Amino acid sequence: MKLRTYAMRVLGATLLATSGTVPVKAQDITIGTILSTTGRAAFLGEDMKRGMEIAVEEINAKGGVLGKKIKWIFYDTESQSVKGVNAVKRLISQDKVAMVVGGGSMSGIALAVLPMTERAKVPFISTEGSMQIVNPVAKRPFTFKSTADDDQVVARALDYLKKKGVKKFALLHSTTGFGQSALAQTKKVAPQYDMTVVFEAFGPADTDLTPQLTRIKERGAQAVIIWTVTPAGVVALKQMQQLGMQKMYRLHSYGFVSQRYMKLAGDAAKDLLLVSVKFPVGDDLPDSDKAKKKILSLIAKYKNKYGREPNQFVAQTYDAIHLAVIAINKAKSSDSVNIRNALQSITGYDGASGTFNFSKKRHSGLSKNDLVLVKWEDGRFKLADY
Amino acid sequence: MDFEAKLLQLIFAGISTGAVYALIAVGFNVIFKSTDAINFSQGEWVMMGGLIAATAIGAGQMPLVIACIIAVLAVATIGGLSERLTVFPMRRPTPILITLITIGLAICTKSLVMLILGKLPVGYKPFTGETPIKIAGATIHPQSLWILGITAVFMVATHFFFERTTMGKAMRAAAADRQAAALVGISVRNSILISFVIAAAAGAIAGVIITPMTFMVYDNGTMLGFKGFSAAMLGGLGNLYGALVGGLTLGLLEALAGGYVSSQFKDAVAFLVLLLVLFARPAGILGQRDITRV
Repeated sequence: MKLRTYAMRVLGATLLATSGTVPVKAQDITIGTILSTTGRAAFLGEDMKRGMEIAVEEINAKGGVLGKKIKWIFYDTESQSVKGVNAVKRLISQDKVAMVVGGGSMSGIALAVLPMTERAKVPFISTEGSMQIVNPVAKRPFTFKSTADDDQVVARALDYLKKKGVKKFALLHSTTGFGQSALAQTKKVAPQYDMTVVFEAFGPADTDLTPQLTRIKERGAQAVIIWTVTPAGVVALKQMQQLGMQKMYRLHSYGFVSQRYMKLAGDAAKDLLLVSVKFPVGDDLPDSDKAKKKILSLIAKYKNKYGREPNQFVAQTYDAIHLAVIAINKAKSSDSVNIRNALQSITGYDGASGTFNFSKKRHSGLSKNDLVLVKWEDGRFKLADY
Repeated sequence: MDFEAKLLQLIFAGISTGAVYALIAVGFNVIFKSTDAINFSQGEWVMMGGLIAATAIGAGQMPLVIACIIAVLAVATIGGLSERLTVFPMRRPTPILITLITIGLAICTKSLVMLILGKLPVGYKPFTGETPIKIAGATIHPQSLWILGITAVFMVATHFFFERTTMGKAMRAAAADRQAAALVGISVRNSILISFVIAAAAGAIAGVIITPMTFMVYDNGTMLGFKGFSAAMLGGLGNLYGALVGGLTLGLLEALAGGYVSSQFKDAVAFLVLLLVLFARPAGILGQRDITRV
């Protein structure tokens, strides 16, 4: 039985090959993605994946890229670097992808897989946060990223504080990689603003921040920038209220733009400002803002498809797929060096996260102009400083 | 902020975290007493207490007091069930086996809670408002007073249970000498069950009273358990009053280290002192060395 089917197949194939009347099917362009839709980072991964789904559908509906459809291959990395490494191995050696877009929803995973994409010279657009992913560029010529950099987030916060005449502020950061990066960048950026900084740290699972806050109060800081993604950030807000520090300028980084946390903080989130991408406040943006249309249409598509409001993580992956396709179009082939060169030459692309400008020296496309300050009011985020 | 006010503020902070550590440490001690094992699922019970109470209030629309009582009862039941399902069936439960089993229990508990109750951080309103109370330039959260009060009541009740009730005395006897206790008709197996129930209840109470201040996520248990374990070690494993002394000392150490040394090394300083104390007194502050008569 088996032998017969095999023989028929061989026969069929020979016939096809010799007859020459059936056109060889144009090969699809494959893009591979790894994200964490389960595990610790699942709250990010789910929407990130959907952002890509929407982008791929859009592109294929318009005829794909270079006259071919995009074949999109997705693997769940379960919030574990090991799974990410295995998945990328498979994407490169078995699936033979033209590009990898998305790096497992966690900076740690993106950092773990990029040596492989670099070695295989497969262009990689990371959708994760850490600046280390694309720096130094000379050592990572094939790696790009579609998210804002920490130094720009710090600069955006300090722009605001400078406007308010603040001379001394405190950075209250978690001891995780996310917080340590903020510490390093603030040390670099703050001197440019002529401000002095009080540094205080806390563990991601800490339940009491009174000692740190007491020190901040004692040193006379006029503002506090809190940098974390864990509920300790809510504890900080509540205890600031308890210690009578709610009159200070209080800012949270983009890691805390979450309705859940705002609801938990309740009263304590009053007058709090958060540095964010424009996505959560798409409605409030002036019509002249180029991201506005993209954001509103993405939200509409998402709601239509999945029946609920998306969060801001959907934008960074949606943009990443579009950037990948623009690069392939520009490169006119799936040759990796051409795609890399094309990615480096993308300037002025208006996506849902903002305007992307890449260059040979900068593989991170967004700037601080793509960041805004938002506040939590009447049960939703509103634009506070544009 | 002047010196006294800052010191007082840090002491308030230290005592209220310390009280929670003490409650968790009680759980470690009770189980250690009856089995000679370290119970690594203690922290998960704390986490479960907070999450169940929050779910009962949020999804179940129950009043706060009832939700908290339900959470404590539920976790105590789960503690007892865990013992009956894992430790009880063992023919010869050695301390090392029980310790290993509790590690498995901890992983199971954490995963099940994540699957059933979800991954999002939860919280609920403090028992009596959020207006901080001002004392000599420092402030204290009303919930901190609740934490101190409930811890004190629980400690007194546990003391009373072990000193005055027949069951408590039987458990102490079983802890002191298992064979001798069994000979006079005390069920050692049941005393292990009761110790699991008490430990789970202590953990759940800790979880229920801190969640309004610190919120709770499914993966908070490990760190809380670790802190409680350190407090138990510091005070002297197996000693009820050691839990109180150890918990408060650890809480104060952390707060003062964070306030006067460096918040980056807050935990490091606290644990360094823990190490030094254990070098000088390996059995902990109140612990007694085993004396063997030769």
